[in-house]
Amino acid sequence: MDILETLKKQWQTREVELPKLSYSDIYQMLLKKSSSIVKWVLLISIAELLFWISLIFLTPDSGKQLMADMGIGKIVNYSNYIHFAVVGVFIYLFYKNYKNIRVTDSTKTLMKNILKTRKTVRYFVYYNISMFILSSILVDAYFYSKSEKLYEVMNFASKGIPQEGFATYFIIIQILVGIIVAGMLILFYWLIYGLLLKRLKKNYKELEKIDL
Amino acid sequence: MKKELEHSFVQQLEKNQNIVHKICRLYTHDKESHNDLFQEITIQLWRAYPKFRGDSKFSTWMYRVALNTAITLYRKSERRIQTQDYENISFKIQVEEYDDTTDQQLELMYAALKELNDIDKALVFLYLEDKSYKEISQTLGISEINARVKMNRAKEKLRRILNP
Repeated sequence: MDILETLKKQWQTREVELPKLSYSDIYQMLLKKSSSIVKWVLLISIAELLFWISLIFLTPDSGKQLMADMGIGKIVNYSNYIHFAVVGVFIYLFYKNYKNIRVTDSTKTLMKNILKTRKTVRYFVYYNISMFILSSILVDAYFYSKSEKLYEVMNFASKGIPQEGFATYFIIIQILVGIIVAGMLILFYWLIYGLLLKRLKKNYKELEKIDL
Repeated sequence: MKKELEHSFVQQLEKNQNIVHKICRLYTHDKESHNDLFQEITIQLWRAYPKFRGDSKFSTWMYRVALNTAITLYRKSERRIQTQDYENISFKIQVEEYDDTTDQQLELMYAALKELNDIDKALVFLYLEDKSYKEISQTLGISEINARVKMNRAKEKLRRILNP
């Protein structure tokens, strides 16, 4: 007889050797907390949402004052309102996708929904990073073109910083800070999600391959 | 009301726990991970239980939730690298008489099954549990025809592992 058929028959009769948990063993398990991937994705996603949202509120007053003194206070305010609206849409989408994750769905649908939820947050992060880069470029370019005014507003003369070459140094420092922040974010995402979702992604690809 | 629900859930799981143990045995390598996975499956089953309508058998519903947890939700513990593989320790058939050759063959089969990827493992497991292709395809979310094709390939893979 085919070896697989033999195993199939044996498989049914070998149940006696499996561990046996009592009613109270199982009952105790109901009181424990889950440590599933969904829970981790949820916790990390909420932390990310909070992190980027808190950045809006944590902008120091001196920064706001600087924008106002440089004459772009209103534009910054309007773009913040738009930003709030976009953040709101992302939170709604994240919540909707998260609600769709059901362990009773088929394996493929379940995986798809987890990856979709994850994707929403990833797009949120991309949006924030690109907004960060774009606004930095715009503000830096504007500051660079008005470097004399900036030198005056920042009161650099009283701090003993010479005006000559000041604008170039300012831009170089801004670019370096930008690169360091971006590098840290990439490392963070690689560590957290690369490791957390590696197996899930691999299995999802396997399932997709079957139906190709 | 909650107590009643808990009671009926624990009772049904106690009765059908072998299904979960078998999945744990296939997807983990030591006793500790086995228990971790069993625990996680229990939590997921319990969470989904209020929506279990009873229009399918409890065991049928369990296969899906338990496999989904093993394949998708469970985070494999790194501890398994340091601990001993339990396959060699605990696989002793507890029936009075058994064919030693079959027993050895089965040991080999278990080892071979563990070499399959997570998806193939699920396919072969459901086949061993005598599930129909319809049920297998619905559980995994693939088409029935492709489930058949994939199953034949998984069987081939197993045969190759067993007879290199």
